[in-house]
Amino acid sequence: MSDSMIRIGGILLSSFIPLLKAGIMYTVPLAIISFTLGLMLAFLTALARISSNKLLRSVARFYVWIIRGTPLLVQLFIIFYGLPGIGVTLNAFISAVIGFTLNVGAYNSETIRAAIQSIDKGQWEASKSLGLSRGLTLRYVIIPQALTVAVPPLSNAFIGLVKDTSLAAAITVTELFQVAQQITARTYEPLWLYTEAAIIYLFFCSILTYFQALLENKTKKHLIT
Amino acid sequence: MIEIKNVSKSFGTLEVLKNINLTINKGEVVCIIGPSGSGKSTLLRVFNNLERITSGALYIDGKLLDSRLEESEGIPVPPNEAFEIYSQLGMVFQRFNLFPHMRVIENVMLAPHVVDKKKKEESKAVALDLLGKVGLLDKAKAYPVQLSGGQQQRVAIARALARNPKIMLFDEPTSALDPELVGEVLEVIKLLANEGMTMVIVTHEMTFAREVADRVVFIDEGSIIEVGTPKEIFENPRHKRIKTFLNRMKPSG
Repeated sequence: MSDSMIRIGGILLSSFIPLLKAGIMYTVPLAIISFTLGLMLAFLTALARISSNKLLRSVARFYVWIIRGTPLLVQLFIIFYGLPGIGVTLNAFISAVIGFTLNVGAYNSETIRAAIQSIDKGQWEASKSLGLSRGLTLRYVIIPQALTVAVPPLSNAFIGLVKDTSLAAAITVTELFQVAQQITARTYEPLWLYTEAAIIYLFFCSILTYFQALLENKTKKHLIT
Repeated sequence: MIEIKNVSKSFGTLEVLKNINLTINKGEVVCIIGPSGSGKSTLLRVFNNLERITSGALYIDGKLLDSRLEESEGIPVPPNEAFEIYSQLGMVFQRFNLFPHMRVIENVMLAPHVVDKKKKEESKAVALDLLGKVGLLDKAKAYPVQLSGGQQQRVAIARALARNPKIMLFDEPTSALDPELVGEVLEVIKLLANEGMTMVIVTHEMTFAREVADRVVFIDEGSIIEVGTPKEIFENPRHKRIKTFLNRMKPSG
């Protein structure tokens, strides 16, 4: 075995734990926290989009328009590097959480809105005839069914988010990709280090895909018609 | 109990109900018959405001619930009160419209629990009682998708009865069913008729209408053509259109 192969093997081995640790300490929490907050925001936005209040509808549409029409990386730069200019200084992790939450909220509000609107009109009519108000109908009848419809696209969005968190490296969050960059800067082995990072992302996403399949099976069981 | 005066309903430029006048009395079973697209379902849906009238006035229990272009009728009750009164009319739909994510028992107990704020156990007792009445006690824990169409429609009837409605509205309750499942649903409706429930039933089942109705309303092209006892309508209709319709409805072969 050549010296260089031994050297690379050593680098890969010694970097594995720091990379995995960065993934578990930053990548995964960043994804989970942003997705949870983002889903709440997406829900509120979806409800605003279908509400009868014109102002609410406009505000929601404006928010979705801004977020979808601008690059995520630029948004992260504005939050982390730009906001201090007007006296708002946030640490890197919080900045990333805010940026990703706003994105999850905007993109998935459309998914949730579409899911709510895909529920058969007869469900609304039956609820109304039973005396359920609009709010009660949403809560007990429409949203539980809409969530089932939305689980596959939302799971996809979550897996997409896990990978997008690598953008947080650009605003100094020491997540998986940032750590890979640091080690590469020391060792000059970009091919091996970034491949190793990619494999760890693949590992995280494979686990999540497995849970996604479980969740889908669990939620759609009673809805086959 | 329900009175509609000069009611018209348009969808865009299409006028589906034209100047309809009809009164439903307490304890009465009224069947609405007529060709497809004649406006029978729309008329039924006007009663509980699933379709809002375009003009005319609607009274339930003597209260003015809605009036459009009829200022002489006075001021309707406030929207909240109207919503509550409309919801005292139970409705059974052609396509059942059960809640697919809930068990049968949960479908029936939802409204007593969340609308009437009855305790869970109490709502459950009401639901079990009604499921017994429609003969589906053993299906309480099943999901709608696991039931036949006839069973689903019986659950839907139990659900509509759960808040103790003053009137039951049936919108072609057997039209989506396989022929061999029609009977079990009609049996349940007959049971309610015998108990004195006020009912308005839109149906294509002529034998059933004849048997169960106190009055039959024949409607065509958005207008009421004739109202009479089953004997009058089925044996001696005054209008040729009804004869033609009834001849076409006779089972062939």
